[in-house]
Amino acid sequence: MNGQQPVNIVMIEDDEGHARLIEKNIRRAGISNAIRHFVDGTSALKYLYEDSSGPALNGPALILLDLNLPDMSGTDILAKIKGEGPLKRTPVVVLTTTDDKIEIQRCYDLGCNVYITKPVNYESFADAIKQLGLFLSVIQVPDLDSD
Amino acid sequence: MKAPTLLPLDKDKHFGRLVIIFVSVGFIAIFAAGLAAAFAVQRNGEHTAWLIHTYDVERAIGRVDSAVQSMRFARRGYLLDRRPAIREDYAEARGDLQRAIDRVAELTRDNAMQQRLIPQVRALAREMDAMLLFTMAEADAGRMTGIGRRAGDAGSADVSSRIQKATAAMLAEEQRLLGQRVRAQQSSITLFYWALGLGGILLFFVAIGSVATIRHYTSGLMRSRNQLRVLNEDLEGAVRVRTIDLQRANDEIQRFAYIVSHDLRSPLVNVMGFTAELDAATHSLRALIDRAEAEAPAIVTEEARLAAREDLPEAIGFIRTSTQKMDRLINAILRLSREGRRTIAPETLDMVGMFQGVADTLRHRTEEVGATIRIADDLPPMVSDRLAVEQIASNLVENAVKYLRRDRPGIIEVTGQRRGLRVLYQIKDNGRGIDPKDHERVFDLFRRSGEQDQPGEGIGLAHVRALAYRLGGTITVASQLGEGAVFEVNLPAVFAGAGEKDR
Repeated sequence: MNGQQPVNIVMIEDDEGHARLIEKNIRRAGISNAIRHFVDGTSALKYLYEDSSGPALNGPALILLDLNLPDMSGTDILAKIKGEGPLKRTPVVVLTTTDDKIEIQRCYDLGCNVYITKPVNYESFADAIKQLGLFLSVIQVPDLDSD
Repeated sequence: MKAPTLLPLDKDKHFGRLVIIFVSVGFIAIFAAGLAAAFAVQRNGEHTAWLIHTYDVERAIGRVDSAVQSMRFARRGYLLDRRPAIREDYAEARGDLQRAIDRVAELTRDNAMQQRLIPQVRALAREMDAMLLFTMAEADAGRMTGIGRRAGDAGSADVSSRIQKATAAMLAEEQRLLGQRVRAQQSSITLFYWALGLGGILLFFVAIGSVATIRHYTSGLMRSRNQLRVLNEDLEGAVRVRTIDLQRANDEIQRFAYIVSHDLRSPLVNVMGFTAELDAATHSLRALIDRAEAEAPAIVTEEARLAAREDLPEAIGFIRTSTQKMDRLINAILRLSREGRRTIAPETLDMVGMFQGVADTLRHRTEEVGATIRIADDLPPMVSDRLAVEQIASNLVENAVKYLRRDRPGIIEVTGQRRGLRVLYQIKDNGRGIDPKDHERVFDLFRRSGEQDQPGEGIGLAHVRALAYRLGGTITVASQLGEGAVFEVNLPAVFAGAGEKDR
């Protein structure tokens, strides 16, 4: 991880319970990065692109994205992030209940880096988050400024 | 949808009948005119024959007159110069007269008036002949005097003038007839021209009428054809619209099932997750109770110990099994909804091979319970989606194996027939059977029937029915409790809905 610029985790998840479970498991996996949580797409996009502490203007980030949001589809947000713009190289982890093959393919086509299905079985869920933790510890977030 | 109107069939039929009547009348009239013309021509021919006849009669009468004159000239000549040649001339003229009178008599046999005159003429001719012969005989005897000759001349002149009068009467009669016949002929010619003219006019009108009718009909046909084309296009459009509507409704249901199942899963993740958290917390609580019991038993109440060691784990256990079951049910709905969204790929299916394959995968189970699966080798093939048909076949055969009776060796028979455009397959078992009141119920999602001694969620048959519907088929069951069951699948021999059902 980049020492100067710690990776912020931006979690876009409308279900408070899910968010809490994800956060708990991330912490249990030993990851202490700051987590910003948004329950809808609009405020999340606003933060991502316009907030002074947001990733577009300040430092690297990792985005955890749920596909079922109240105000917009998660795939739209994914398409926006991975389309043209300052965030197109930001890693996005889609974390959702959908395990539909077509949906998963679509997310990867749009540029999602990892797709994790929220399993109802809690052990597998915790495992998945641990995997995510491992993933977070090994990824190299590129320095956007030097690109 | 715009609905162009065709000519009302009733009116059309009425109009058609009217046209046929008019045209028939027209043609009958023309035919009649033709007949009239033919009749007139024939009449004309008759009249002409009669005219010729009249001329013949007149000529014959003329010959009578000329024969009378010839006889008189011959006699006078003989009196002046008694040469036998002249006498012969006389005899010849006499014969001529006879023949001429006979001819007239023959020609006028049909005319009573002329016939009345003929004997008179004959008598006069005989009288004159006698008189002339007498004077010639007198002359031969040399007794002919100037007075006698003159008297003879006068007598013969008188008779001949009477003959002439008679023949003139006959001629007049013939003239009268001639006039009549000429008038008749003229009238028949006039009739002919009238008939011809009328026929021509009728022909003209019928022709105009026919052409107008044909034009009217042709333009009507053209109009109908155009309307039909429009209708046809509209029909295709209408079918497309309906299909789209149906498709939309179907999609809506699929989407509904999909969204519901996902949205149901979402809270379930929480329930499971926080139950796990609770469980984890219970572990530390139990450890605390254990430690407290060991170090300071006084502070551990019976309630706290029970809560930590029994109540909490029991509650958590129930929550877990329930949520797991709910998860399975939701997954079943999800699977059904996905099945409905899957694209059907029809191909020719060897049903004997397919059922054989199903039986092979169940061999272990069937050997275990001592059951036999008999597959008829004349199962009709079909063109349909392999995966869907395979799922129907395996679900039905699996069910048959699953619900066999343990007190008798299981026999499962698979038969099939082709009925027109459909194929029927029966899966018959001698198992426990299904109560007739549950025959509909067993096909409902999450519904089961009979003793609940076998694992299952009540999804299989619901799935089978959904698949059968999707393939354009149906499924029915015939069974009595304790006497086995026959499931019959009725499917189209060739799946036809590919273009309509799929996007």
